Amino acid sequence: MFDTVEAFYRPGTVREALRLLQNGKNRARFVAGGTDLVVEADRSTRILIDITRAGLSYIRRKGQACVIGATTTMATIENSPAIRALAGGILARAAATCGSVQIRNMATLGGNLANGSPAADTATPLLALDAEVVLADARGRRRIPLTEFYSGPRKTKTLLVEVAIPVPPRGARWSFQKLGRTEDDISLVNAAAGLQLDSKGRAKWVRIALGAVAPTPIRAVNAEKLLLGRKVDRSTLAEVCDEVEREVRPITDVRASAEYRREMCRVLVGRALQECAAGTGCSL
Amino acid sequence: MNSPRTIVGQNVRKVEGVKLVTGGPAFTDDIQLPGLLCGKILPSPYAHARIKRIDTTKARALPGVHAVLTYKDVPRVPHTTAGQAWPEPSPYDTYLLDSKVRFVGDRVAAVAAESRAIAEKALRLIEVEYDVLPAVLEIEQAMAPGVAIIHDEPDSTGIHDASRNIAGYILREIGNVDEGFRESDRIFEREYRTQRQQHCSLEPHIAISWLDGDGRLVIRTSTQVPFHSRRQVAMILQIPVSRIHVIKPRMGGGFGGKQEMLLEDICGALALAARRPVKIEYTREEEFYMARTRHPQILRMKMGVKRDGTILASQLTVLATTGAYGSHSTTVQGNTGSKVLPLYRAEHMRFECHVVYTNTPVAGAFRGYGCPQGFFAQECLVDEIAHELGVDPVEFHRRNVIRLGDIDRLSAQLGEGKAGLPRVIRSCSLPECLDRGAAAIGWTSKRKALPAAGHLKRGVGMACTMQGSGIAGIDWASAFLKMNEDGAFFLQVGAADVGGGADTVLAQIAAETLGVSLDKIVITSGDTDTTPFDVGAYASSTTIISGGAVKKAAEKVREQVLRMAAKMLDTPVENLTCGDNRVSTVGKSATMTQIALHAMYKEKTQIMDGASHFNTDSPPPFCATFAEVEVDTQTGKVRVLHMATAVDPGVAINPAQAEGQVEGAVAQGLGYALTEELLLDDAGRPLNANFLDYKIFGAKDMPKLTTILVETDEPLGPYGAKSISEVPINGPAPAIANAIFHAIGVRFRKLPIRPEDVLRALREKETAADDQSL
Amino acid sequence: MKTMEVRLHVNGEPKQWTIAPGDLLLDVLRREGYFGVKRGCEAGECGACTVLLNGQPINSCLKFAAQAEGADVLTIEGLAHGDTLDPLQEAFLDHGAVQCGFCTPAMILNAKALLDRKPHPSEEEVREALAGTFCRCTGFRKPVEAVLAAARGSAR
Repeated sequence: MFDTVEAFYRPGTVREALRLLQNGKNRARFVAGGTDLVVEADRSTRILIDITRAGLSYIRRKGQACVIGATTTMATIENSPAIRALAGGILARAAATCGSVQIRNMATLGGNLANGSPAADTATPLLALDAEVVLADARGRRRIPLTEFYSGPRKTKTLLVEVAIPVPPRGARWSFQKLGRTEDDISLVNAAAGLQLDSKGRAKWVRIALGAVAPTPIRAVNAEKLLLGRKVDRSTLAEVCDEVEREVRPITDVRASAEYRREMCRVLVGRALQECAAGTGCSL
Repeated sequence: MNSPRTIVGQNVRKVEGVKLVTGGPAFTDDIQLPGLLCGKILPSPYAHARIKRIDTTKARALPGVHAVLTYKDVPRVPHTTAGQAWPEPSPYDTYLLDSKVRFVGDRVAAVAAESRAIAEKALRLIEVEYDVLPAVLEIEQAMAPGVAIIHDEPDSTGIHDASRNIAGYILREIGNVDEGFRESDRIFEREYRTQRQQHCSLEPHIAISWLDGDGRLVIRTSTQVPFHSRRQVAMILQIPVSRIHVIKPRMGGGFGGKQEMLLEDICGALALAARRPVKIEYTREEEFYMARTRHPQILRMKMGVKRDGTILASQLTVLATTGAYGSHSTTVQGNTGSKVLPLYRAEHMRFECHVVYTNTPVAGAFRGYGCPQGFFAQECLVDEIAHELGVDPVEFHRRNVIRLGDIDRLSAQLGEGKAGLPRVIRSCSLPECLDRGAAAIGWTSKRKALPAAGHLKRGVGMACTMQGSGIAGIDWASAFLKMNEDGAFFLQVGAADVGGGADTVLAQIAAETLGVSLDKIVITSGDTDTTPFDVGAYASSTTIISGGAVKKAAEKVREQVLRMAAKMLDTPVENLTCGDNRVSTVGKSATMTQIALHAMYKEKTQIMDGASHFNTDSPPPFCATFAEVEVDTQTGKVRVLHMATAVDPGVAINPAQAEGQVEGAVAQGLGYALTEELLLDDAGRPLNANFLDYKIFGAKDMPKLTTILVETDEPLGPYGAKSISEVPINGPAPAIANAIFHAIGVRFRKLPIRPEDVLRALREKETAADDQSL
Repeated sequence: MKTMEVRLHVNGEPKQWTIAPGDLLLDVLRREGYFGVKRGCEAGECGACTVLLNGQPINSCLKFAAQAEGADVLTIEGLAHGDTLDPLQEAFLDHGAVQCGFCTPAMILNAKALLDRKPHPSEEEVREALAGTFCRCTGFRKPVEAVLAAARGSAR
């Protein structure tokens, strides 16, 4: 298991954590919840740096905007009144599906994003919310959109320290959908949607994000553009879902076939947009 | 004299319950032994290969390594690992370690080292050169001409035809099915396929072995078959049986996966080589593909019926694979015929089965033991027939199922490897099970019209099944009782409580018979030194066979107690009764304590006796399973809303434990129907040997469960008991498949029924309908 | 081999362990004699290794022992008070909710964590609390009933 680990550190600051990472050369790894790292069991790890004491567990409102520290657990996010009130609660709902109670008490937001799984449940609503991530390295901190975090090159010697969620559009409606094989499962497909309608019921602002159907969680930007200025009716939805199907690149694996995932993108996006349009998610 | 029962039939707390709820050290791993070494097995990376060269020099040289074994270091003794009575009906085709490997995960070598890390490192240091052979992975390819021969070794025995990879072959007929089909008005024939299911006991296989102070080999192991294991280890390691001591602590599940001598031989061999205690505990991954699985089968079921629905002839043709070794190969498949076809009163029945080897994980015993496969085929076909004839399925069953007083002649042909004995049905409440199960699910109203909310469609379906209670003429058990000064009795049984409550049930039987309270029975079980023989926990035998032995032994001891009391009370034995921890007659009594002290210190005699027991018949428990499902026609997901199971277990010695057995069996049946399958890639490597991707039903997946015990009084069982632990696993898969048909009009004949399959079938149906309407 | 010290409380007792830096909490607990904490999968899937850490259920197979520094850990061994069982333990026994017992410590601890923050949960909430503990024996019906009974304050 981890018999090759030589040292375990619990730094009290981000600066200290980064210093330890630097000193560890390529054999040091950050650990927070451990729910991915321990399962991976990478035998080359010699140094573990526990960042759960580096002051990164917090949820702060900044007006209608919100910042979440990277080591905030799924359970904390799921139960936070601020997060439940935000954007129809889609981030809280997504966090609540990240495994069992035991896992959610350990797993962190930063880990969910940084481990790069395309099925990461919190990534999808965060993409729909235009979230940004704050990355810290030896030179300091910088803030980039989550989309760039996923599309850019893999960053080394960097720690994801915070997720920032800007103020969602006023009156927008939200939905989060997840499909698994059993009630507690990794996502076969997940989808998050945000929709703001004008006075005539036409889409003024659209976000459609999907997980587990591409190498990273993605925004279906073409589908979003297609919906702008239109009413959410049957034929529009069909067109939008057609476009979504073209934008995803699902794989066949032991969990599901690519064809099934593709079909489920249509179903979940359709359900998400219908839920938004029907106002069954709560608006801001 | 029949007095009202005080303990049998009561929901008493489990005798080991407090230990379990407080986490007391109870299981195999819950001990600390000085000098304990970690044992690990090097698994084959190839599905089929010869070991051309194996060099353990570097592994042996690693500090902390105390033993390294390859086929060169151990005796070559052909055997079966199947936990069965001797001589086992399974082929003797397995070796402690061999120079050939026959599935990904097969044993290549084994090490014992001072820590898990060192053991794992030692495995990595063993150098192996393989001569990779073509692998036979597809069940339908195994007998094809020119295909690789998996068991080409000359010293294996009991294989039906090794040159064609046929481990076993069965053909049995009663009556004449061709004649039966000729007389039929309608004939139906369909093919069904079932998958590789894994037991997923929460406690993986584990064994700890050491040499005691007298140089005897002790094996502490999670096993359903302590005595069979002892005998087999003795044979394999060439040690006398009496020099081996097998101890079975509390078990964290078995479900048939531990009806096997799986780790005991290699663990004992390592302990002997290292001269230190050795523990081998499977990781969860190893548990999935290096333990045992259910036998996958392809079943062709054919039935001939009269216009009114009477079944005249039934024929089942099966192609099954036993994986790389033939453990339980003919007996599981024998059950697929013998326990399944006779559910109906057809005059003509025929069962034919080929069991082939493939280079895949080894199949073995698994709750239901061939019946889940067979009943899936039969109960799905029967549902189809009923539908075609316009007969309600429940009514169809009522007309055709076996009845009280009937004789099942097919069983006479299919015993455990030899000619069995005819089965007489001496207890049966199946008609009432049907009624009550149907009522619980709301059958009549729901068959007519179910609420359909847009893309969600609901349906109800059902199935009838049966099993056996012990193997007639083969399963046997013994029990021993001795009395203590405080009026308590030590009950020693070889029976192996797997976790289902056997120790409690056996203690209840003893207490009832002796007329004492439950706390006056102290039970020891499953220890080959201190308890008398028992075949072990399988074939739903413990309550009826081990319980039968307990009752006999208790009756003999009661006799001694009464005679002692007769002397003490100066009263003829006929005037005495046992009850309430005393022996009484009019006006006077003696407590059990007084009787014990009198016996031990006045008469100088130990009140003790034992008995053995077996049955010449195997009375079936019966089960009617009803399912209500909701199909999401957009995602293909099938949600089970309600499972109602009505069972005839004979008398339920402990109704709460019996219900628990039903509910757990149903949970496994649900996974079998909808989510569970061990998948292999095209090189025979497991793809989902973990709980992330091998999906079992969790607390939020379980539907509403209704459990109905419809008790009967079985003459062959202690206090009327039969069995209950296997039969409820047989019904869920066909009941759900039939309910899905009711909901969406599509028949599924392959398990598991996955959302993708449902969606694909719905699309095909749509397309077919579109084509038709054009 | 490098070692380090960990100080924590287990079942109310102060403990000081000498561990290897990469030791997992499950392994250390069992090594220290807490056999009620079970090893079922070592991947955080089956929940048999559940302990309460500062009152919250976690999978001890995924937790580094070093991360338990300063924590309050509750294992099943710490639930009863001497010979007096916790109402949950009584309820599990009375409702036939214990079969093989391997998952029982985890189920009870998860239920305790639930009842500590929500004394009157719905059935759905009980199932959510138990969803991270696999049971192959019971089908979950009787364990759920036992938890609801314990919540109602009656053992039967």
